[in-house]
Amino acid sequence: MKIGLFVPCYVDALYPEVGVSTYRLLKSLALDVEYPERQTCCGQPMGNAGFERMAEPLAQKFDELFAPYDYVVAPSASCAAYVRCFHPNLMKGRSCDAAGKTVDIVEFLHDVLKVTSLKAKFPYKVSVHNSCHGVRELGLSSPSERNVPKFNKIIDLLRLVEGIEVVEPERPDECCGFGGMFAVEEQAVSRRMGIDKVKRHIATGAQYVTGPDSSCLMHMQGIAEKERLPISFIHVVQILAAGL
Amino acid sequence: MSSKEQILSALRRHTRETYEMPDLTQLTPITYADPVAEFKQKTTTTAGARLIEMAPGDDLNALVRQAYPEVKVIASNLPGVEAQLNPDTVSEAQTLAQAEVGVVRGAIGVAENACIWVPQTMKERAICFASEQLVIVLSADCIVSNMHEAYACIAASADFFQTYKFGTFISGPSKTADIEGALVYGAQAARGVTVVLENNL
Amino acid sequence: MVERHDNTFFGVRQKRDRMAQALPEWEDLREAASQIKKHTITHLADYLEQFEQNATRNGVHVHWAIDAKEYNQIVFDILQAHGVKKVVKSKSMLTEECHLNKSLEKQGIEVVETDLGERILQMMHLAPSHIVMPALHVHREDIGETFRRLIPDFDDIAKGYSAIGGSPADPNDPTFLTYVARMHLRRQFMEAGAGMTGANFGIAETGDVVVCTNEGNADMSTSIPKLHIVSMGIEKLIPDYRAMGVFQRLLARNGTGQETTVYTSHFRGPRPGGEMHIVLVDNGRSSILSNQEHWQTLKCMRCGACMNTCPVYRRSAGYSYTYFIPGPIGINLGMLRNAMQYSDNVSACSLCCSCDNVCPVKVDLSTQVYRWRQQLDSLGKADPMKKVMSKGMSLLFNHPMLYSGVLRLSPVVNWLPGPVVACSLNPWAYGHQMMKFPDKSFHQLWKERLL
Repeated sequence: MKIGLFVPCYVDALYPEVGVSTYRLLKSLALDVEYPERQTCCGQPMGNAGFERMAEPLAQKFDELFAPYDYVVAPSASCAAYVRCFHPNLMKGRSCDAAGKTVDIVEFLHDVLKVTSLKAKFPYKVSVHNSCHGVRELGLSSPSERNVPKFNKIIDLLRLVEGIEVVEPERPDECCGFGGMFAVEEQAVSRRMGIDKVKRHIATGAQYVTGPDSSCLMHMQGIAEKERLPISFIHVVQILAAGL
Repeated sequence: MSSKEQILSALRRHTRETYEMPDLTQLTPITYADPVAEFKQKTTTTAGARLIEMAPGDDLNALVRQAYPEVKVIASNLPGVEAQLNPDTVSEAQTLAQAEVGVVRGAIGVAENACIWVPQTMKERAICFASEQLVIVLSADCIVSNMHEAYACIAASADFFQTYKFGTFISGPSKTADIEGALVYGAQAARGVTVVLENNL
Repeated sequence: MVERHDNTFFGVRQKRDRMAQALPEWEDLREAASQIKKHTITHLADYLEQFEQNATRNGVHVHWAIDAKEYNQIVFDILQAHGVKKVVKSKSMLTEECHLNKSLEKQGIEVVETDLGERILQMMHLAPSHIVMPALHVHREDIGETFRRLIPDFDDIAKGYSAIGGSPADPNDPTFLTYVARMHLRRQFMEAGAGMTGANFGIAETGDVVVCTNEGNADMSTSIPKLHIVSMGIEKLIPDYRAMGVFQRLLARNGTGQETTVYTSHFRGPRPGGEMHIVLVDNGRSSILSNQEHWQTLKCMRCGACMNTCPVYRRSAGYSYTYFIPGPIGINLGMLRNAMQYSDNVSACSLCCSCDNVCPVKVDLSTQVYRWRQQLDSLGKADPMKKVMSKGMSLLFNHPMLYSGVLRLSPVVNWLPGPVVACSLNPWAYGHQMMKFPDKSFHQLWKERLL
């Protein structure tokens, strides 16, 4: 099984440690992982902003770049979701092979590798941030709106970590308000959503907020720091790879 | 081309793909082992109505009097109810606003939501809405589990709309929460409902 | 105020959740409702003809209106023919869409809204902030003041309230104010020459019009005045009573979190000595049908569940949308009504997809918002800042060398003075502390084998 690592643009630029943790974790599971260097972005920021045609060349490049791999794994639920749900439409008639094999790291560990143990130790209380695209586009957890059997793949994986205490906030999958360009176009509402979400995470008594999407974490962290709300943020893959 | 023709032809012209009606027999709606018990429970809790049980041989008129001892003006066209106003013979619907208690008969009870199907069986249906308090008499034999069953009964019978072309499901007294979300019983229609449940065992 | 609005409507969402959890068949009901609507809408002309045939056979007068103007004229003509001076009206989004009230009032007919929330807004000259609970944002003190000012026999009514045992400590207690409204509206029902209702559903097989209320005001409006005019959007049709079972069970559970509305009334024909009219209204609906990306908005049953779950709507306190219907369905319907006029609402969405998961008829709301966004630029309505940012990103991302170069330089931002970074040209700085750019990007770490 050949894995192509996709490190999304903003993770690359702002949270490279998330990419590092992903790489190390996959290697520790004895996997063949490569990082095709000419990657940049999946195109979601432009697509969600209304400039899908700008995302078209990126979708096509993505498909070509990751052609040699069996799986494309990304530490980002929303990017993996964008590739799966939207790339097929951006290929201008050509078929999109990347869409069928692009997965988020949580899905990969939970559904493909079906890991049952991890070497990680993280003796802290963490509040799980169920990012919207993870829940509702990738199915990382059961959407609170639906009458379906309850499940949460993020929590399943976190429970394999030694010493950890895992909780969820009230309104467990309500949006944090990032929404890509939404955060800059509807600043007041976005900020309000973010403050409310951070406060709900803090109310659990957790020391960390963790989730599968650095974009959500980035938004909440920026707000928490500005508002001086005391809680830290860490991507779920960093917890799963703790100690490696 | 008339407006009707324009609209219909636009609809036909604009329809591309068509879809079939789903097979509703595949739907398995909730049913209750004891629909009567469920109906009684929902009636007195979520619907906010009062429930009086009536045994065979009980006098409906006496039950109504007992339930509303102070009342002077009762409206009804039910045989066996002593009424000051009769919705079949009032000269205008407005008169029924004077009814302190209106007594009507329900035909079907629904356990899942405490609805009672009240077909119009009187000339002026305002009795069902303008009466300050409403009494609905219902036989426990006519209680079904859910709305699918209720609608199947109604669709199967030509009687309900034969004389008067109206019927309504009523679940408890009229309500609103329009002011600051505070729930208030007694909005525009009945301020209180009493269900008289005839047990024919 | 935002907090109250948010908590109120999330509370309704939670009630809906409890309803959903209580029915094992919940997801099957949603799927059935979606399919029934898709079927009916794609056979709508046939069903409308069947509906008209049955309604006419039942003694109902059926009218067809292509647009709002024709609709308003038809209604006026019916009222004028009967010499009606005052109309009592139950809630209808369609009448708001067509601006009926204003049109009638201009021609000397008094229109009295009888849904309590709508009546309050009418008296206060305010617009609704929600399609089902339109006045939740209004404070009781303001309602009390309005009632005292505009209801002539307020004091007599208050005395009557005390006489029946009510004596609230709060002069603006909701139970008391509701009683005042009840007495005030009673007089209106008694005096009106006609009652107007909307239609939650029309049943093709029988010609029934179904109206669901908690207050019973649709029933009061139509059981006292002898003339009943129904206003129905053509998309409200469903085939038969089997379908009605599905929709009755979904409407209140989704709209207000109750198992049922208090009243579910089936109007099949006129009252003895009365007259019943149904006006079938198109007003753009037949065009929407031809819109490949957006025709599924025709499935909408106006329950309001999407706005109750929408985190953006809940933090908007009601009046931020420029279209009269807010929230996810409002964004989409507004664009269909007039894309140029209502395009600013398209940004009011974080694409969280919660709405898709509550909609009882599975309208693909978030996907439709995404698709409207793709249209904005060609309409000349794209936000300039977003366009510039997208172009900038596009340039970077399509040129890996350039991208790497920029990344290598990015730590410079860390050393810029705070006020420079946080200036108004940097929209991220509003609300957020600026991120620290790491010394090396992942790309660099990989290249330098530092993993």
